[in-house]
Amino acid sequence: MLDLVIKNGKVVDGSGLPGFVADIGIKDGVIVQIGRGQQEAAEEIDASGLVVAPGFIDPHTHFDAQLLWDGAAKPAIEHGITTIVPGNCSLSLAPLKAEHRMKLVGMFNQIEEMPHKAFAQGVEWNWQTFPEFLARIGENLDINVAQLVGHSVLRLWVMGEASMQRIANASEIESMCALLEECLCAGAIGLSTSFVDMDERLQPVPSRYADTAELDALCAILSKHNKILQVVHEFYDSDLTLARVDQLAELSLKHGINTTFSPLFVSHDNADSAQRILQRVQEHTARGARVWPQVQTRPIDISFNFAVPSLLFMRLPKWYALMRFNAPDQIIAKLQQADTRAPLIAEAQGMMSLWERLILRQVQTPENQGLVGKSLREIAELRGCDALNAMIDLSLEEGLEAHFLSADMGHNDDQLVGDLLKHPNVMVGASDGGAHILSFATYGDTGYLLGHFVRDQATMSLESAVKKITSDPANLWGLGNRGMLREGFVADITLFDEAHIDRGSEHFVQDVPGDGSRYVRDAHGVHTVVIGGAIAFDSANGYRHAHRGQIIG
Amino acid sequence: MSNSVQKPLPQRQSIHPQTNDTWHSIAQRELSGESLEQAVASLQSWNLHVFARRVIDEATGEMGNPILPSDIVFLEPPLTTFE
Repeated sequence: MLDLVIKNGKVVDGSGLPGFVADIGIKDGVIVQIGRGQQEAAEEIDASGLVVAPGFIDPHTHFDAQLLWDGAAKPAIEHGITTIVPGNCSLSLAPLKAEHRMKLVGMFNQIEEMPHKAFAQGVEWNWQTFPEFLARIGENLDINVAQLVGHSVLRLWVMGEASMQRIANASEIESMCALLEECLCAGAIGLSTSFVDMDERLQPVPSRYADTAELDALCAILSKHNKILQVVHEFYDSDLTLARVDQLAELSLKHGINTTFSPLFVSHDNADSAQRILQRVQEHTARGARVWPQVQTRPIDISFNFAVPSLLFMRLPKWYALMRFNAPDQIIAKLQQADTRAPLIAEAQGMMSLWERLILRQVQTPENQGLVGKSLREIAELRGCDALNAMIDLSLEEGLEAHFLSADMGHNDDQLVGDLLKHPNVMVGASDGGAHILSFATYGDTGYLLGHFVRDQATMSLESAVKKITSDPANLWGLGNRGMLREGFVADITLFDEAHIDRGSEHFVQDVPGDGSRYVRDAHGVHTVVIGGAIAFDSANGYRHAHRGQIIG
Repeated sequence: MSNSVQKPLPQRQSIHPQTNDTWHSIAQRELSGESLEQAVASLQSWNLHVFARRVIDEATGEMGNPILPSDIVFLEPPLTTFE
C-alpha cells in the first residue's frame, strides 16, 4: 500500500514540458508511480483543479538563525517552498568557535537585521563545527535545508581577529581549504562570499580581506567536490558588477564550477545596465563559463522605524551612525536637542522628495492612528512643517515606534523585470528569506511569480515558471533527485490553485525570540505542501510538523 | 532584453590590488606613463567605491579608506558607449 496518493491533479513536473493530468503515488518519502490507476494509499488527496508541482526551492536565504528556533522556517512552507538555501553572502552559523559567537551575531544583526535579543533568547549555542551545526538544526526540521558555508566564518575560525585585518598566509589558506573540505564532506552544498558587506562596527567583513589567491584556492576545493560559489557583489554599480561577472567567469572556467551572484535589479534608470550585465553573462556562457545572476520577483519596498538601522539611511552617514551606535533613549535625546538635530536635518534635506513619498504604516498612540496610511507630504501639510520634520516628530511622539513605508523603490517595471525573469541565463532567487525582518517581508516571491507574472502578465508559461523555481535551482545548486516529479525522486510536492496563487499583503507579527517582530506575508492559493513524502502544510489545517525535512548535501 | 547576437561588450580595465598596495604603488605600477600625482588623482576619481569609502580605523579611531584585497580597482574611466 502506498503512503500517499495525489489524484487528478494537473502535473507540472518541473521539466518545462506541458502539464498533464495524472495521479502521483508516494511510498517511503519517494515518488513511486506517476500515471492513472494508483494502488490504494493510507492517505489520499484529491487534487482536481489544482496544479501539482515539485516543491519550490528558494536558493538565496538567511534562515540560519531562525532554523534554530523554527524548523519550518515559517512562513516559507505555506508559500510552497520545500527547500531553502541558507548561508549566503559569506555568513553561516558554522563552523564557529565559541569565542567568535558574538562577533558573528553582530554581523547577522548588521547585515541581515536579526536582533541581538533573538540570538540571546532563541539560541542555545551547542555547536562549533559544521557537522555539529547540521546535527543541531536537523533535530526538528520540517523544511529541507541545503546549507552553504560562509567564507567569512572560515576566515574567522582560522585567523581570528586577523581575518578582518589582512590577507591570509599560505598556511592559513591551507587551513581554510581543509576546513571547507570538512564542511563539504559534512553536507555543505557550496561556499558563499561577500564583496560588499560591513559588520556592526561598520568594518568590512572578513571575506573582503581575502585576496585572489585565497578565493582561487577555495574554488579549487569546490571543484574537487563539484560545488557552487555564491557571491554578493557591488550590485549598485554596473561596471563593478561587470568586473565581478568577469572574475566569476574566470573562476568557473579554471575550476569547472557553477557560480552565482545576487542580486541583479532592474528599473527604468538602469535598464541598459542590466542589459549589459546579461550580455556579458551570455558572452561568458558562450565560452563555457557558468555564471548565473539571481533576480528577485518582487518590487523593492523598505519599511523602517528610527529604533533600528535601516538600509534606507545607508547613504546618510550621520543618520546611519545615529541609529547604529545609539540606544533608543539616546536617539530620542539627539533628535530633541536642536544642536544635534540640525546637522541631521541638513544631511537629509536633499532627499526631501523621498521623505514626502513615505507612508506612515504603523503607530502606537491613539492620537496618531488617524494618520496611518497617509503620506508624509500629507501629514506635513496638516502639521505645517516639511516631511522630514514630520517624520522626526512622529518618531519622537511614538517613542521611535512610528513605522514608515517606502514603496516601489525600484525593480517594479513589469516588462523589464519579466524579461529578466524569463531569460534562460537568469535564476529566480535573491529572496533573502529570513533576513531584513524589519525592512520588508522576504516571503511570497514564488506566489508573486506565478500569480503576477504568469497569470496576470502572461510573461511566461506556467510550466516555464515552475521549472525556474524547481528543477533549475535543483540542478544548479546540486540538490540531487529533487526539483522534478519523477519516479524515484524525493516526494517534495506543492499543490496550488493557479487561478488564485499569489502573495498576501505584508503585515507585522511578533514571533521572534526576545519579543521581536518582523514583517511577513501570507500565501494565497497554496493548497498542500508535501515534504519528504508527508504533508507538511495544508491550507485547511495549517502546519503538521511531521519533521520530514532533510539536510541536503 | 534581447537574445540576439551582439558585438562583445568592451571591458573596462581593472585589477585586484596586490599585497600592501597603496594608491601610489598602483599608480606607479599600472599608470607609469603619467606623473605620479596625476596618476593617483585619476585612480582615485575612477574608484570612488574605494576612495570614498569610509571605514573606522580601530587602532586610531580615525576614518580611513583602506584598499581591500578583494577590491576591484579600475585603471581607466567609465566606458561611456554602449551599442
